[in-house]
Amino acid sequence: MTAQPNREGSKSSFTRFLDLSETKLAALLLAPAAILLVLIVVYPVGRLIWTSFFNLSLTSGMPASFAGFENYGLLLKDPIFWQTTKNTLLITVVTVPGALLLGIALALMANLPFERKWPVRLSLLIPWALPLSFAGLIFAWFFHSEYGVVNDVLRRFGLKGIIWFNSEEWAMTAICLTIIWKTSSFMALIILAGLQTIPRSLYEAADVDGAGRVRQFFEITLPLLKPSIIIALIFRTITALQTFDIPYTMTRGGPGSSTATLAMYIHQNTVDFLDLGYGSALAVVMFLLSMAVTMVYLRFIRSTR
Amino acid sequence: MASVSFRNLEKAYGALRIVKSINLEIADREFVVLVGPSGCGKSTTLRMLAGLESISGGDVYIGDKLVNHLPPRERDIAMVFQDYALYPHKTVFENMAFSLKVRGIPTAEIGPRVQDAAEMLGIAHLLDRKPGQLSGGQRQRVAMGRAIVRRPQIFLFDEPLSNLDAKLRGQVRAEIKKLHQAIGTTILYVTHDQVEAMTLADRIVILRSGDIEQVGTPDEVYNNPNSVFVGGFVGAPAMNFIKAKLERDTLHFETGDHLILPSAQAQDVESYHGREMIVGIRPEHFSVGPAAADALNGRVQVVEPLGSDTLVHLSFGSSVLVVRMAPDAHPAVGETLSIGVQPCRVHLFDPTTERSLRRTPLSAAKAA
Ligand SMILES: Nc1ncnc2c1ncn2[C@@H]1O[C@H](COP(=O)(O)OP(=O)(O)OP(=O)(O)O)[C@@H](O)[C@H]1O
Ligand SMILES: [Mg+2]
Repeated sequence: MTAQPNREGSKSSFTRFLDLSETKLAALLLAPAAILLVLIVVYPVGRLIWTSFFNLSLTSGMPASFAGFENYGLLLKDPIFWQTTKNTLLITVVTVPGALLLGIALALMANLPFERKWPVRLSLLIPWALPLSFAGLIFAWFFHSEYGVVNDVLRRFGLKGIIWFNSEEWAMTAICLTIIWKTSSFMALIILAGLQTIPRSLYEAADVDGAGRVRQFFEITLPLLKPSIIIALIFRTITALQTFDIPYTMTRGGPGSSTATLAMYIHQNTVDFLDLGYGSALAVVMFLLSMAVTMVYLRFIRSTR
Repeated sequence: MASVSFRNLEKAYGALRIVKSINLEIADREFVVLVGPSGCGKSTTLRMLAGLESISGGDVYIGDKLVNHLPPRERDIAMVFQDYALYPHKTVFENMAFSLKVRGIPTAEIGPRVQDAAEMLGIAHLLDRKPGQLSGGQRQRVAMGRAIVRRPQIFLFDEPLSNLDAKLRGQVRAEIKKLHQAIGTTILYVTHDQVEAMTLADRIVILRSGDIEQVGTPDEVYNNPNSVFVGGFVGAPAMNFIKAKLERDTLHFETGDHLILPSAQAQDVESYHGREMIVGIRPEHFSVGPAAADALNGRVQVVEPLGSDTLVHLSFGSSVLVVRMAPDAHPAVGETLSIGVQPCRVHLFDPTTERSLRRTPLSAAKAA
């Protein structure tokens, strides 16, 4: 042993390294990820919450002053907050299931044994790849009361054209339809990936067992797609709660604030009114909403494992 | 229960013919094994019977019923898939009950039927588990259970044992045989493992690139292979093939050794006088003893002791002979060994068509 002091030395330092308790080693290995997480998630969120406790309006010319829960008190009495929150929830409740159903239908179609698969897949990708505001602009034009293609079709079927953006209900309908069109392809992509993990032999076994197509869908496809569907729903719901671009480009929130969303109201307060304190309080509410939704889904995943 | 009949059955993908005009009658209650090398069309044939693959030509009958265009569920078959194809989100019970439920069998009847089948296969204690919580062998049994609760007319197996380890494979193989003896349903079983084929089958069908090469009992295909292909495919280790020139009733090998044929066999090959032919000898049909008059002399290359017996590789001219010897034989590498052959056990094949030239079939009893 003494004949190889060098080797012995390096070996002992190596074992000393390994002798770190397992928890210490774990901490060491996790540190880079943890630091990154703090920098890009915890700090901004913390800063946001912090700001929401201040009076910080850049137009007032006053220095920032601690305000406690004042911003939150204001918010609870603010009818526009309630209106935009209600609109946001409405959009979420309508467009998430809508996009899910359309997405499943599209994914099932794209999964059919086409001779050439790429044109189908590509056409699925296109709506997803379009910028949101671009989709908003295109659809604003589609729903135009004079020149829009939607009214044109309605008139050809002998129906009366609708002045979409003059009525609260029709404006909201147009926005929801646009969002469903725009987001269903994302749902479809995730669900298509899920579909492709289901072995073909399961369907063959079901064929032999005597189950028809409809039964196969409900007894095999749907249960096995559940994980993909939940992931798609989490992503989609969170982005729905943050809906901004499409109503912003289609209606600017009008008529009145009837189609304005919480995200648009935050934008208005921070960017237009430069009221950072109040805007931050609104953003915290949106953050809490998103967290709550994620928790519900995760609970659901765990309960069905 | 029912018979099966394939009449000129064909499958083609475009110009590519995968199955070429297969004719086969499977009797009621018969256990038929379809065997052949990978890609020869075994699964395709089985799947055409199941209705999972369309038929390009010919007819398939189950009993007297033409089933060419019937969907799988109307063919009254059950199938065990190579990957088992168990429904991962359903429990073992639900997996087994599914086909009964789909067919509208009353719930009160489903429970006992699943229970019976599960007990028969020794999986009754697993009924509440999901497939993910089972071992490979248990999953295999569940797959069989799902097939037998149905009490179908025909069982189809597509390489059901290929995902099991060697020991378990032997065990489940015996169980499948027992199962067939107990319930007697017609079985068509696909494998590329000739041991499975030999041990399980009432009759073996040997497929080669979409054609039936030979059909017969395990005995027949072992003792009377009708081609070099079958001779080489059935039996392990494989039959030895060597070239030899025929002079009247004597085979002359390139090493200078010779072998005299029994008169019946010599008559069969009279017309090959003066020509070269392929000689097939199984490793187990050599005898090692005091040098016989017509013995083959080869030099020991490799010795493989297997415990139950010993395989010896001899270099013999330009070829290698594998010889099965008693376990206490310990020839030295490099040693020259003189081995005798039971002449009636020698198979002769045409050198170009590779067909067997035996006219009088050899029965197992006669050869012994
Ligand atoms: N969709 C297809 N298009 C073209 N050729 C195919 C198709 N499906 C199978 N084949 C070919 O058909 C042949 C027979 O396939 P099959 O699955 O019946 O073989 P097998 O005998 O079961 O082989 P293995 O022992 O490997 O399972 C193969 O050569 C395969 O390449
Ligand atoms: Mg196969």
